[in-house]
Formats: sequence, C-alpha cells, structure tokens
Amino acid sequence: MRGASTRIYSWGANLPMFRVLAFGIAIGVTGAAFLLPSYWLFLATSAAIGVIVARSAGLVTGQAGMISLCQLSFAAAGAWVVAWLSLGEATMPFPIRILIGGLAAVPFGVLVGLPALRLRGVNLAIITLGFAAAADLYFQVQGFPKNSFTAAVVPPPPFDSDLVYFEFCWGMVVIISLLLGWADRARMGAAWLAVRHSERATAAMGMNVPLVKLTAFATSAFIAGLSGGLLAGQVGLVTPQNFAPLGSLVVFALAVMMGAQHVEGALLAGLLIALFPELLRKLGLPPDVADLLFAIGTIDVLRRGRGGVATQIREALRIRRAKRLAAPASGARIDEHRIAPALVHTGQHQHGSSPALDIRGLTVRFGEVIALDGVGLRLEHATVGALIGPNGAGKTTLVDAVTGFLHGYEGYILAAGVSLDQLPAHRRARAGVRRTFQQGRTIPDLNVGQYVRLAAGRTLGDSELSLLLDFFDCPASAQPIASLDVGTRRLVEVAGALAARPAVLLLDEPAAGLAETASIRLANRIAEIPHHYGCSVLLIEHDMGHVVAASSEVTVLDFGRVIANGPTRDVLEHPVVIAAYLGEEVSA
Amino acid sequence: MIQAAISGFVSGGAYATLGLSIVLVYRMMGVLNFAQAAIGAFGAYVAFVLFEGGMPYTLAVPLGIAAAAAIGALLGLVMSTWFSEAGAEVCSTVSVAALITLLAAGFRIFGDSPRSVPDFFSGASFMLFGVVITATGAVAIGGAVILAFAIGLLLRRTRIGILLRALSERPTTAELLGIRARRLTLIVWAFAGAVSALAILIIAPTRTSAFLGLSMLIVPALAAALIGLLRSLEAAVLGGLGMGMLEGVATSIPDLAPYRQVLPFLVIATMLLWTERAEVWDARR
Repeated sequence: MRGASTRIYSWGANLPMFRVLAFGIAIGVTGAAFLLPSYWLFLATSAAIGVIVARSAGLVTGQAGMISLCQLSFAAAGAWVVAWLSLGEATMPFPIRILIGGLAAVPFGVLVGLPALRLRGVNLAIITLGFAAAADLYFQVQGFPKNSFTAAVVPPPPFDSDLVYFEFCWGMVVIISLLLGWADRARMGAAWLAVRHSERATAAMGMNVPLVKLTAFATSAFIAGLSGGLLAGQVGLVTPQNFAPLGSLVVFALAVMMGAQHVEGALLAGLLIALFPELLRKLGLPPDVADLLFAIGTIDVLRRGRGGVATQIREALRIRRAKRLAAPASGARIDEHRIAPALVHTGQHQHGSSPALDIRGLTVRFGEVIALDGVGLRLEHATVGALIGPNGAGKTTLVDAVTGFLHGYEGYILAAGVSLDQLPAHRRARAGVRRTFQQGRTIPDLNVGQYVRLAAGRTLGDSELSLLLDFFDCPASAQPIASLDVGTRRLVEVAGALAARPAVLLLDEPAAGLAETASIRLANRIAEIPHHYGCSVLLIEHDMGHVVAASSEVTVLDFGRVIANGPTRDVLEHPVVIAAYLGEEVSA
Repeated sequence: MIQAAISGFVSGGAYATLGLSIVLVYRMMGVLNFAQAAIGAFGAYVAFVLFEGGMPYTLAVPLGIAAAAAIGALLGLVMSTWFSEAGAEVCSTVSVAALITLLAAGFRIFGDSPRSVPDFFSGASFMLFGVVITATGAVAIGGAVILAFAIGLLLRRTRIGILLRALSERPTTAELLGIRARRLTLIVWAFAGAVSALAILIIAPTRTSAFLGLSMLIVPALAAALIGLLRSLEAAVLGGLGMGMLEGVATSIPDLAPYRQVLPFLVIATMLLWTERAEVWDARR
C-alpha cells in the first residue's frame, strides 16, 4: 500500500531521479567525449574534478552540518601523495596512486574531525580555516612534492590520453555518487544527516555520535583527496596555489549555494567551478569575476533561507508530485482486530524478577542547585508508569540521567537488573533504553518511513512499518516529515523509538502539541504498548487526563524529590500531590 | 630573545587591533566576521593607491579609513536587512561570502602583486632598557591598548555604549524601547571597518604580502579574539600582543621561522578545545 521508495534510507533522494542522473552522465560523457575539441575536453575533465570536491564539501557541510573551510587542504594531501608516488620510475598503476592519494587525506580528515567532536558552528569554521592556512604555509615551504624539485605528474598509458583521462574522471564521479548513495541506504548517510539536526537525538537512536562525525570528516577528506590526485594527473604540475585557502572558501560557498549534499547540487557546483570562468572569458569579462558572482549568489541563496539550489529543486518537484497524486494526508484508521494479533509481543525481553527500570538514590547537581535528590523509582515489566510534577521538578533531568546524557550523577540505574551507569548514551539506547525528546527531534529531511527505519536500527519489513504507523495514527510512510505539524512529528518520533523494540521507553511529553482528542487517543495507545510490544513505558506528561488514561502507576517529583508514588488514582488524589500542583503548603 | 619578542610589536599591535574589531562586532552584532581583515586591507589599499597617485599620505590615509568604514557599513547593512533573524552559522557563512567578494574585487582593482608601501614613521626607533623599539611598534602597541580602553569606557560609561549593550543583549526589546537599531548597527560595523584599516595600514609596511596575504591576517586576528573568548576586549589585545611577540621569537629560531604563521592556528586550536572541552553535545536537546 505504501510506495516502494520507503525501502531506502536515502534522505529525500529518490532512487529513480538518481538513476536518471547517473544514466544521463554516462551517456553524456561517452557521447560528448568524441565530439569535444581538446580544450573543452580539458574543461569537462576539470568539471568532473570540481564535482568531486564539491560533493566532498557537501557531505561534511550540507549533510553532516559541520562547516569545513579546508576541503582543498585535503585535496592537496591527495595531490602531494600522487605527485610523490609519480616521482622517478613509477610503476604503480595510476588508479591505485589516486586511491592511495585519497586514503592519504583520511588521517587529516580525522585530525580535523577530532576537534569537531567538541567544536561546532562558528568555532569549527575558525579551526578549519586555521588548518587551511597552516596547510597552505606548509606546502609553500615544502613544495610539491619535494623542496626545490618539481616533477610533473605524467599518468602512464592509457591515462595519458586526454579522452581516457576525461572518461576516468567522470567514471570516478559516478563511482563516488554510487558509493555515497549506498552509504545513504546503509544508514550511514542518514546518520550524518541526523547528527546535523541533533546530536542527542542521534545518540538516543543508538548511534555513536563521535564515530558518525569522524566518518563524515574522513569520508569527505577521502573524496577531496581523490579530487586532488586527479587534478595532479590532469595538469601535471600542481602548486600550493591550486589549493590555497581562498579555493576552499569558494568550494564551501558553492556547496552551500548549490546544495552539494545532493548529487545534482554537486554536479551544478562542479560545472560552475570549471565552466563559469570560461563563459565569462568568452563574454569578454575577466574570469576571476566568477568568484565574486559565486559569493553574491551564495548570499542570495542564504537570504531566501530555503536551502541550496538542489534542495529547492527537490522541494519543488516534491510539491508538484504531491499535488498530482493528491495523497491521503494521514494514515488509515485503526482496525483493532487487524492489529492486535499481528503485534503480539515477541518476548525478546526477559521477564526476570528484576524490574524493567530500577533507579536508586539518583542525585544530580548543577553547580549549587540540586536538581534530583536521592530519587528512587521502579518501573515493573510491561507496565506504563507516569512521572509527573510541576515545571522544574527534575523530570527531564531524570530522563537525561537514565539515557546517558548527564555527565555525572550519583546513584544507580539498572535496566532489567543490568547496570547502565558506565555506558555512554548510544550504548544505553542499544541496550534497550529508548527515549523521545520534549522539543521533538525528528529529521525533517527524511520521510516518515525513512525516519522510523533509521530509528529502528534494524531491518523493518513494510508490513511491520505500516502496522506501527497505523498504531500511532502516523501519516503514510512516504510523507516527508518536513510537511508535518509539530504534534504529528512527535507521534512519528514515538513510533520510531518503539520500532527499535526497546525494553524501556521514556516518553518526554509526547502529547504536547496534540489536540485533546488526539492526546487521549495517544494515551490509549501508550497504555497498550506493554501488551503489544512487551515494553515498559515511563511517561512524562502534564495533562492529567492523559496520565490517567495511559498509566497504572505514578511517581510525583517536586523540587527534585519523590513526594508520592503508587497506583495512578490513589496518587492523584493525595493531598501532598494536589498541594504541589496548586502551590499550597501542606504539613506532611 | 627579548629583542626578538620586541620585534613582534608591530604585528602584535595589528593583530590586537584586528582582534578588537572582531570582538566588537561579535559581541554587539552576533556576527563572527571572517571578512574583517579583508575590509581593513581594502581600505589600506585605497590609501596606497591614492598615495601612489600623488595624494599626500596624510590625506590618503583618512580616505582609506573612510573607505573601509563604508565597506564595513555596507556589510552591516546586508546583515541587518536580511540576516537579523539568522543564526550565527548563517551569518558567518555570509561573512565568508563577503570575504570571497572582497578578495575577488580586490584582485580585480588592485592586482595581486605586492605594493611598495610607505612607512609613515620611516624606520624611526628609540632605546628603552637596552632594547630597540621602533616607532611603528610603539604606536601599534600603544594604539591597540588605548583603543581597547576607549571602547571599554565607551561601552560602560556613555549613553551610546549603554544603548549598544541593550541592543546586543535584547535586540527586539531595545528596538521596542525606541532605540534606533539600524543606525547604531551601521555605526558599529563602520567603526570596526575603520579600525581594521588602521591595523592593516600599520602592519603592511612590514610585510611583503599582497592584498590576499593581508586579508588572511584574519587567522591570527581570530586567534587574538579567541584569547578573549570573543568577549573580552582587554584579553583580545593581550592575546594579539602575545601572538605578535611569539611570532617575533619564532622568527629568530631558524628551524621554526618558516612556520611561524602556523602558531596562531595552534593557539586557536588549544584555546577552543580547552574552553569547549565539556561541550559533549550540541545545544539542541
């Protein structure tokens, strides 16, 4: 019933379009090669190299959201190694040299990626610009590839033919695009995208955030290194000027302007880098004006704030397609009898004697403020417990502590009898403790199905996915998350967390932003989670109607202490609890 | 050693002054301006060209500074018109684009060959405690320190300073109170541009660098600004001076000399990683 495109993770990218592009490149490249005069062949080869370096910038900046102003420094490392490997009587096959050039850039990618584990945004931009300046200076002092000795890189036959080299470069473009397309489907690409939107949410989906960031930088450096090697082979004699910081800035600006995280954005950027200056020359204008126009174009794209050119094109196409199909806005209505038997829980979580979640003596301090003070909480197997309390009582802090987002806390947290205290956030998620976020942390670039599959972290069949989406009244899986309202996004987030088949699910105000009827419907669904999925739920909610409908047990926090717990009805009628909510003093 | 450190006074004063203008714009406008040094270089080059054209230096310099102020104000206009609601990352990307624009325009207008630049103090120097201090160095240092104090006083003591602080901390509230946000914004941007031009004018005679090289002084300037954590004017000045002196010392060590301009990068990396070491997660929770 859902579209076939739900099978892939590739964010926003739809495979048909990608295939058409790849096919188009292949036809265009082979066909054009025989027609082009050598001057244009050279330019078209430059364009291929430009596409590759633009894609490398798009990956780290557009996809993973980390500003990198040193892509050409990575390229320089690749070029240096290819030039060095080509000294003297080089016998190594040329493509292998290029590959080694790419690999040589990887350590530098990791080196720059390491600061990115702590530095973000503007700070990372400063670091990468500093790195570009330092690398530039090093190459100027040391030379390419040796001091006071420059040797042109002469690719061995058959790569010495312009035509073959041209085919080789465009072949690399296709291979890199296919490999990155594959990475998108293999969860890696979506992980890069996730880390751009929220690092906490990425970790909460069980992904190792430092690893995701480092692989983004390493992969980007590898691709940039390939482009540097290819440039060395194309022009023969490379100089540090080929990789000056200004070039990195222009590549960055073009990647932003064109949306080079998408294949077609990188294509446009590469074509612009190579062809636009020539076009200006033909028009009798100085070619260096190109940079100026690129910069102004970038400012204009940023001003409109709708993403790079490729992103805008995709959005426009999506809207057109949506209009033509007039797809149903939300998922099918629930059919109780159909769902219930299908979702009987698999019993994969052991129901031993220890509770699903056991918190003992949990104390959290923020400086002088004690946010949680010796909190104890037991969540039995296959139950829904609610955690309530006035604003600032420490509810979200408790969820943060349990899911591994607080650096230091005192006390013990056990899930099904296993201590979580030593585990980082993503390991806790993998151990079966999942959460959602108060602010809602879905990934707008994905569609509903892609997001749920990413969050699931396992193979999720089409039928299982659609059952899960129906269960929570989520929209159809092909619906882009960007088109959903905040409340509905939260439902998708809950469905995603549950798709991972966790043992414990912590929901931080899942009904915020939902209308009252939808909120109660969600509460009823939450109450059924233990039965269908064998999963225990700890629910934070302010809406008491929701709490009553969803939970069997309630724990009340006030100023970081547990002031009451027990069966829902009893606790909510307790005078101390009422006082805490109405702000009266009660002598206990 | 001491003499070597002293020889870095000129660079130090220039880094400090550039660092000051970066901190000023970042604090008041929330924009980390990667084009700050390029704006200064543009103004300085205007002065050089006018001087080469026969204009007296005393007239060319104010005109150059005015040009830098105008470019600064223009960038401020772009920022306040289209990017007042945008985040710091977008604003910085815009400033990177502005840097590219200035470099391309500078290359077109001024060419890429280094210029012979007049040294206003023509190598005058004096002895103090047994070390030689050039007049340029003394002016650079003194100027940077005086500027930092003057800006600090202005922000703390004067009405315009209080208006500026209100504007930087609560832009919308300030505007609703009737503060003329647009005009103040442009003044800050223009002032920062003018100050940057001064810095470049003072450092240019000691460098053989062309327009590009002078614009890339943004790297040591950012290092200086970061020592003040992009907040403290005084620390930025001290950082700039320290960086200049470190460079001076490095120049006297043959093995290190060619790489002395890598030093700011190391300072930047260390500073940033130390201050952000606890930032395991991004701000979005």
